Amino acid sequence: MRRLKRRINVLFLLTIFLISPSLGRDYYIYATAESEDEVALVRFDGKKIHVEKRIPVGVWPIEIEGPHGINVSPDGEYWYLSMAHGIPFGHLYKYRTGSDELVDRVELGLFPATLQVSPATGLLYVVNFNLHGGHDEVSTVSIVDPEEMVEIDRVETGIMPHGSRLLNNGLKHYSVAMMSAKLYELDAMRMEITRTLSTGKHEMKKMGGMKHKMGDHSMPKEKPTWVYPHPNDKFLYVVNNGTDEVVEVDVERWVITRRFQTEKGPYNCEVSRDGKKLVVTYKSVAKTAVWDIDSGKELAKIKNTRKVTHGVVISPDSKFAFVSVEGIGSEPGSVDVIDLSSLKLVDQADIGKQAGGIAFWKMEN
Amino acid sequence: MRLSQVFIVVTFSATILFSQEESEEPSDSLYFQFAPDSLYLEVGDSAVVTIRLLKNEGESANSPFYIHGGERGTVSVYPRISDSTGVANVLVKVYRPGDLSLNVRSISTKRLDRVSDKMPVTVPYPPLARIEFDQSTTQLYEGTSVQFIAKVFDEAGLTRNETDLTFVTTNSSIAEFDDFGNLNAKSTGRVRVTAQVDNVTSSINVRVVKNPVRGMELSSSSGEVRTGDVVHFNAKALARGSREVEDAPIYYSYTGIADYGIGLPAAGQMSQDGRFVAETSGLYTIYASSGGYSAQKTIKVVPREVTRKVELVGYGLVPDVFTSDLWIWPGIGKHEGKDFAVTGTWGADGNTYFWDVTDPKNMITIDTVKVDARTVNDVKISEDGTVGVITREGASNRKNGFVILDVSDPYNVDILSTFNDDMTGGVHNTFVYDNHVYAVNNGRKYDIINIEDPSNPHRVGVYELKTPGHSIHDVWIVDGIAYSSNWADGVHAVDVGGIAYNERNMPMIQANPLLARAGKGSPSNPTPISYKNDPTGRNHAAFPFLSESTGEFYIIAGDESFPFGLGATKKEPSNPRGGFHFVNFTDPDNPEEVAIYQVPEAGSHNLWVKGDTLMAAFYQGGFRILDISGELMGDLYKQGREIAFFLSSNKEGHLPNAPMVWGTQPYKGLIYFADMNSGLYAIRLVSIDAKKETD
Repeated sequence: MRRLKRRINVLFLLTIFLISPSLGRDYYIYATAESEDEVALVRFDGKKIHVEKRIPVGVWPIEIEGPHGINVSPDGEYWYLSMAHGIPFGHLYKYRTGSDELVDRVELGLFPATLQVSPATGLLYVVNFNLHGGHDEVSTVSIVDPEEMVEIDRVETGIMPHGSRLLNNGLKHYSVAMMSAKLYELDAMRMEITRTLSTGKHEMKKMGGMKHKMGDHSMPKEKPTWVYPHPNDKFLYVVNNGTDEVVEVDVERWVITRRFQTEKGPYNCEVSRDGKKLVVTYKSVAKTAVWDIDSGKELAKIKNTRKVTHGVVISPDSKFAFVSVEGIGSEPGSVDVIDLSSLKLVDQADIGKQAGGIAFWKMEN
Repeated sequence: MRLSQVFIVVTFSATILFSQEESEEPSDSLYFQFAPDSLYLEVGDSAVVTIRLLKNEGESANSPFYIHGGERGTVSVYPRISDSTGVANVLVKVYRPGDLSLNVRSISTKRLDRVSDKMPVTVPYPPLARIEFDQSTTQLYEGTSVQFIAKVFDEAGLTRNETDLTFVTTNSSIAEFDDFGNLNAKSTGRVRVTAQVDNVTSSINVRVVKNPVRGMELSSSSGEVRTGDVVHFNAKALARGSREVEDAPIYYSYTGIADYGIGLPAAGQMSQDGRFVAETSGLYTIYASSGGYSAQKTIKVVPREVTRKVELVGYGLVPDVFTSDLWIWPGIGKHEGKDFAVTGTWGADGNTYFWDVTDPKNMITIDTVKVDARTVNDVKISEDGTVGVITREGASNRKNGFVILDVSDPYNVDILSTFNDDMTGGVHNTFVYDNHVYAVNNGRKYDIINIEDPSNPHRVGVYELKTPGHSIHDVWIVDGIAYSSNWADGVHAVDVGGIAYNERNMPMIQANPLLARAGKGSPSNPTPISYKNDPTGRNHAAFPFLSESTGEFYIIAGDESFPFGLGATKKEPSNPRGGFHFVNFTDPDNPEEVAIYQVPEAGSHNLWVKGDTLMAAFYQGGFRILDISGELMGDLYKQGREIAFFLSSNKEGHLPNAPMVWGTQPYKGLIYFADMNSGLYAIRLVSIDAKKETD
C-alpha cells in the first residue's frame, strides 16, 4: 500500500512537472475577423482563453475591407496585416505589438493575403491573392521594405496565389497559386522565382488535362491553398484543397515525396516546432486534424466550434494549436485551442465575424 | 549525463557563441561606402555603382547585404544582393523623375542590428519645352484688368503645374501684372507680355487702347426675389452716345444688409457672368464696373419660406440588427391594393425583411428571407412587382453575388435562384430594369444579368471603366441610361437601351440631352455617353434630375465620407460628412458642377428626386427634403431651400437614440426611408401652420 502511495505521489509530481510549464505560461495570439474589420488579441493561460482586445482596423467605414493575412515580425515588435479591399487595391498595415497602434500602411495589389517577414532579409513578402479576379489573371508576390513601408518589387507567380511562407532561415519564399496548381520558390534575396512545381499527381500542360470547368473558367483540381515548411527546412507541406490531400515536398530534390489523404476541404496547415506534428484545418467539414509526420498517420480529428475551419498556428513549445474558425452569417468567429498532447479541444473564444488569419505573438511565464 | 557528454555540450555551445561574436559585428561599427556617392541620371539611363559594406577602419565586413531601388517602378537594381564579402557592383536604371535613392541594408537575424543607408539618385524632370497662353487677349482698354493664364508643357508633352510661372511686360507704365497674373492696363501704348518659367518663355503683343467707356448701365431679371433664386444681371458698358462697348471687361460685386441683425452676414454668391444668388434675406446692391465707371442696382431678397413640418405616419422598428436599403412597391394579383416594403440588413445574419405597409401606421413584418451573407446591402423589386433582388456580401463560402426572389406573394417569398458566377468579391448594389439586373461586382464593374427567366439568370454584358485603379459603388437606371457612381471616376452615364425614338417619347428625349445621344446601347452593349470625374474621390451615389421648372438636366452626385470612422461596429454613433453635388449635364460635353447641398456636420448617403424636390438620406443628419426648383447655383443649404428634416431615432433601436438615415423612396403621397439604427419609417409633409396634408 505504502509502495502504491509512493508511486501515486511520484506520478502526481511528474504530472505537475510535465504540465506546469504550460500552466504558468500565457500564449498571445492575433486573429483577424474578415467580416468585422477587426483583429482580436487573445491570451491562453494554459487552461482558458481570453479575448484581451478587439482592435478595429481599416479606414473605409461602411464597406468591409477584409483583414485577411496577419503575421508578427521575427522580433515580435510589430504585427502586419493585409487588408483585402480598397478602392480597389488592398493594403498592408503595420501595427506595434502590445499597444496595437497603427504605424503605417502601403497600397499593394488586389486582395493581398498571406504574408511574412524574412528573418534573413528583413523584407516582407505578401501574395496578391486577387480572389475576385477572372481566375485567369496571373498575380504576384509583393515585396515590401517594412521599415519604410515601401513596396519595392512585385514578382509574378501564378493565378490566385494564396498560401505563402518562408523557410525558417528566411532565404527562400514559397507560395502556392490555387488556379495554377503550382508551388513557387522565390529567392528572397534576389527576388526572383527560381523553381516551380506542380502540386498535382502529374505535371499539367498549360492547365490542360487535370482541370474542370466552372462557368467560363478552367480550374485545376488541386487548388493548393497553403504551404508550410518543416522546422528543418528540408520539407514543405502543401495543402491541395481541391483533391483533399497534403503533399510533402522535398526542398532539395524538388519532388513530392509523400501524400497525406485528408478529409474534405483541407485549407491551412502548420508543422509543430518540434517537427513531429502536422496540424491541418479541414474547412469543409469544420474539423482540425493532427498528423504524425514520421508515420504519416492522422492521429486525431477534432471537431471545431464553428462551421468553417480556417487557419492554424502552433505555439513554439509545440503544445497547443490555435485554430481560427469562421462561422456563418452573424455567428461570431472563434479561436479554438487544441492540446497537441491530449488531442482534445481545450477551450475557445468568440471573436469577430469570419475569423481568418491567425498569428502567434509571444509566450510569457 | 556523463562527463564526456557535458564536455561535448559545453564545447559546442562555446563554438556557437564565439562564432556568433565573430560573425556579427556590432551594428554601429558597420557602414556602407558608395562609389560614386550619388548619381544624376536622365529617365531611362543607367549606371554602375560599387557598394561596400565596411567595418571599423575600412576593413571589409565580410557580410552580404541587399540592395533595392525604393518605391516600385522608380529604380531597378541588379544584382539585388552583394557577394559574401560585402561588395556589390550594381547596375542602376531609373524610370521616373524625382529625388530617388539607392537603398542598402545589411543582413542579420536581429532587426536592430541591421545597418541601412541610401545613396541619392537625382533624376531631373524632362526639360520644359513651351508655354501656351490660355487666352487670345491682345487688346485691353485703359483702366481695365484681365487675368492671364498660361500652361507649361515639358518635352514629354505633359502639362507641368509649375508654381514659379511669372508674367512680365516690357513697359510697366503702360501695363503691369500683379502677383496673381492680373494685367492692369494703365495707359495707352504697346507692350510685349512674356510668360516665363526657368529658361522657357513665351510672349504675345498686347495693345492698350483708349477706353471708350463713359458710363455703365445695369438691369436685372427681377427686383425682388427669394433666397436661392438666381437673379441675372445685365451690365452694359457705354461709350459716348450710349453706344455699347461689347468687348469692355465688366466686373460684378455686391454688398448687402441682412434682415436679421447687426454683424451677421448678408451672404450670397456673385458670378462674373452676372448671376447673383442670396443665402440670406435682406437688401443687396449689385455693382457692375468697367474702366473706372460703375452702375449699381439694389434688389430685395425675401425668405424662401418653403419650410414644412414632417408628420411621422408610422415606423417599423428593427431593434436587433442594422438596417440597410429599402424598396416600396404595390402588391399584385391577390395582393392588389396592398403595399409592401423590403429592407436589408448590414453586418448581421443575412436576413431580409418583408413588410406589409398597406396601413403605414401599422407596418408589420410578414416574411423573412435568410441567405448566407453578413450584409444584404441592397434590395430591389422589379417594375412589375414579381421579382426581388437582394445582394450578398460576406457569404461563408465566399460565393457572394445576388439572390433572385419571387415576391409576387410577399407573405411567402421564395428564392428562385442565386447568381454568383465570378462574383466572389460581393455585390454591393444592384438595379433591376427591364428584365435585367445591373449588379455592382466586387467594386470594379457592373455586370448585366438577364432575368427574363428569373430561375435561370445569365450574364449578357459587363461595363467596366478603363481608368487605372477604377472602382464603382452604385448604379441607377432611368429610361435606359445607367448612372453609375465611381468614387474618383465620378458619375458616368451609359446607354444600356435608351427609350425608343418615337413620337410619344420625343418630349422626354428632347428634354434629356443624354437620351438624345442614346440609341446605340443595349444591356449586352453598354455604351458610354458622358461623365464627370470627382477630384475628391467621394462619389458614392448618382441620380438624374430633369428640372421641371427650368428644363436643365443634372446628375446629382452624392458623397460618402467617414473622416472619423464608423461607430456602428463599436455600437457608437458615427460622424460622417459629405453632400450632394449638382452637376449640370445640359451640355453633355461640358458637364459643370453648379451647386451643392451640404448639411453642416452631417454625412450624405442615398437620395431620390421627385419633381423638383430632393429627398436626401443624411445619415446622422436625419432625413432631409430640399426644394431644388429654379436655377441652381451655390450653397443650397444656406439658401433656405430646406423644406423639412426629420431626425429618426428610437430608444429601442439597434443603436438607441441616434439617427442614421440610409435611403429613401417617395410612395403614394408618403415618404419612406430606412434608418440604419432603427428600421423603417413613413412620413408625410404638412404645412407649417396647419395640419393640412400635402403631397
